[in-house]
Amino acid sequence: MSALSSHLLEEIKALPAKYPQPRSAVMPALDLAQEELGHLTPEAMSEVAVALQLDPGYVEGVATFYTLFHLEPVGKHRFYVCTNLSCMLRGAEDVVDRLKAAIGVREPGEVSKDGLFSYEEVECLGACEYAPVVRLDHRYEVDLTRGKIDSLVNDRRLVRSHVKTGVRSSLDTTPEPPRKKPVRRTKKSG
Amino acid sequence: MPDVKMVNVTIDGHVVTVPDGTLVVEAAKLVGIEIPVFCYHHKLDPVGACRMCLVEISPGPPVAQAGCIRPVADGMVVKTQSAMAVQARADILEFELVNHPLDCPVCDKGGECPLQDFTFRHGYPTSRIDGPRLHFQKPIPLSPNIALDRERCVLCYRCTRYYDEVAWEQELTVAERGVHSVIASQFDQPLTSNFSGNIIDLCPVGALTSRLWRFESRPWDLHHTPSVCSKCAVGCNVTLWQRRGQLVRVTSRENDDIDEGWICDRGRFDYTDVNDPARLRVPAVHGSKTTWAVALNTVADGIKGKGSKLGISLPQDLTNEEAFLFRRLLDGPLRGAKVKMHGRTALPAPSGEQLMIKDIDDARVIIIVASDTENDVPIVNLRVKKAVSKRGAKLIVIHPDAVDLDRHRETVHIRNQPGEAAAEVRKLADHELLHEPGGPVAILYGDGRGSEDAAGLVAACTELAAKVGAKLMPLYRGTNERGSLELGVAGWDSLDGVEALLSWGPPPTAGVPASVKFHAVWDHLPRPEHQNASVVLPATSFAERQGSYTNLEGRVQFLRPAVDAEAPLKESWDVLCELAAALGLPLDYVGIFPIQREAAKAFPALAALAQPPSPEPEPVPVLMGPARP
Repeated sequence: MSALSSHLLEEIKALPAKYPQPRSAVMPALDLAQEELGHLTPEAMSEVAVALQLDPGYVEGVATFYTLFHLEPVGKHRFYVCTNLSCMLRGAEDVVDRLKAAIGVREPGEVSKDGLFSYEEVECLGACEYAPVVRLDHRYEVDLTRGKIDSLVNDRRLVRSHVKTGVRSSLDTTPEPPRKKPVRRTKKSG
Repeated sequence: MPDVKMVNVTIDGHVVTVPDGTLVVEAAKLVGIEIPVFCYHHKLDPVGACRMCLVEISPGPPVAQAGCIRPVADGMVVKTQSAMAVQARADILEFELVNHPLDCPVCDKGGECPLQDFTFRHGYPTSRIDGPRLHFQKPIPLSPNIALDRERCVLCYRCTRYYDEVAWEQELTVAERGVHSVIASQFDQPLTSNFSGNIIDLCPVGALTSRLWRFESRPWDLHHTPSVCSKCAVGCNVTLWQRRGQLVRVTSRENDDIDEGWICDRGRFDYTDVNDPARLRVPAVHGSKTTWAVALNTVADGIKGKGSKLGISLPQDLTNEEAFLFRRLLDGPLRGAKVKMHGRTALPAPSGEQLMIKDIDDARVIIIVASDTENDVPIVNLRVKKAVSKRGAKLIVIHPDAVDLDRHRETVHIRNQPGEAAAEVRKLADHELLHEPGGPVAILYGDGRGSEDAAGLVAACTELAAKVGAKLMPLYRGTNERGSLELGVAGWDSLDGVEALLSWGPPPTAGVPASVKFHAVWDHLPRPEHQNASVVLPATSFAERQGSYTNLEGRVQFLRPAVDAEAPLKESWDVLCELAAALGLPLDYVGIFPIQREAAKAFPALAALAQPPSPEPEPVPVLMGPARP
């Protein structure tokens, strides 16, 4: 039983042809693997190495070098909170505190109990004009306020419960937050 | 060989003429000036990671530049002592020590540590660092033999570069980045390479240390003896380190003709049997201790006049001197005995001019037949890797199984059926790589650990060599197999059906034959096979032995005893002489030198024995360091 699906491995094997140096494919390959698994396990890195004809140690070295490759389990939704200058001046610390309370974790990288969320602090996301900014999965959420953070979190919690009951199918089709719905506050939020 | 342009460089006022392309640090060594380095190592590609080698170079920008990656140019003026250079190096050292635990008093490297030495010679006398330091779990066992201390590491990457460039493995990598970078083994799995121990010698600080020698003693308390490794036929040069009669460590001793400063883990870590408290030290007859005279007379009575009913098992690491004396016995009282040498290949003695290990460097095409070089001849394996990855040689391997040389993408691996290697060699003559090799061709052949017909394989290789103009190298396995072959004692007889057995060294690989009625053992460790032995004689280990080995290329090298063979232990040549006397053949040599002189006269291959080199190691040149900043 391999860690990565066979069609993904096929996709990875096709990558080196795109680069002058075949080993350049290691980053996109790891990206694909992480997309599928959420984080990179040693097994997944070994399989990427075999697929690209590299040594697992080399792949591991690359994976540990970049913070956006996760070697530990992360939440299904990841908040990348900018704590660089502009965001910091516009209240990034508050954003971090609020987010920690909303998802119920104490430190970066910790996964919330429901497995849905984790957060990390990152350097400039290049959207200073909208500070404070957070990257939520592959989307920027800008001009953050406490309420906005809560709703970002709660929406995703609700989506999950909807998915469970089969009411909604995917996050991408979610319209603006349905604010009227009862919001389940986390106990720690204050 | 194209003419290399020579250039003149001035280093601290000394003018030195060196080949174009020489690095500044190497040029400085020639005039006795020390430019301190951590990441630079003369056997690894320069990388310029640590900046320890900063010097002022003109013409050039007015900043201190790294001397380890800068090739010299004609008219270059290098100043290692200018205020700028001295301060730059002191600053770098200050940075190196930011997270260093400064636990020199309990560090195994203390006393032979470049970081310690450079701090004394090039650093600031006092520390300004009072902030918190990075802490890691320590020590981390990288393998049963090697411990990693990440706090002491200065991230010179010598170890990972060695793994990548020289050993062709990626077991050891750099994880994380920036100030958090650490050396890590792949997925935290133990290192399994046969070449892992070299990173201990390479490490310029106490980050990688031997677990066998951990907290045992300080380097300056040890006596060191230059000697030769006794584990295989390559004959790597080693230094044996002794303290209070114990062999406490083995390190490499660079000899560019053979090992280039690398030794394998067998040579480095496989020495603890020397200090085994259970070592045999007193002769015993039927289990009760006795004197040498009684024991040797019992042996002589047991093996005398047995003819072909006598079997003798020889160790792979008997010296030329022992083999010479043994030959005298075989020609005399023990004529007709069946002899089986341990660990030898089925290859015959070489004839004609052979390839030297050094010549592998210049080969354009290297053909390796029927040998798992990683385990059979480890350091030759590294030499082949160097020729392929650093000098662009093409590699053809003929072996039934996967071998570690397959790690190179361009290795041509022909998988033969076991026993069919000779046929594959004959087919090679038309191989595209051999049409226009563009330089020397090297053919290295083993015996497939007995799976190949050695005579047929040698014939096929000789034929191919004649066709493509290649030189041959037989890859013997037994330590002194080649010397024993030249002396005619490296037997290959079956010991089945013998009535008397003298097993010298480890017991015969096929076990003690059931037909044996008289079993004499001459070994350094007690073993279960000795249980029914009539006589047990204590033997010296490699650390107590003197004499010489002939390595697989025919080079005669001298062993030196690091540990004294204390009575009642006797040296092997002495025992052989007394045994000969007991058998009625007077061999009264007063020491090992007369044996060597006589052997040199009798066997042209051992001519080097006539003049053993001085046992005193050459003094290490003292390089001038600068004054304090």
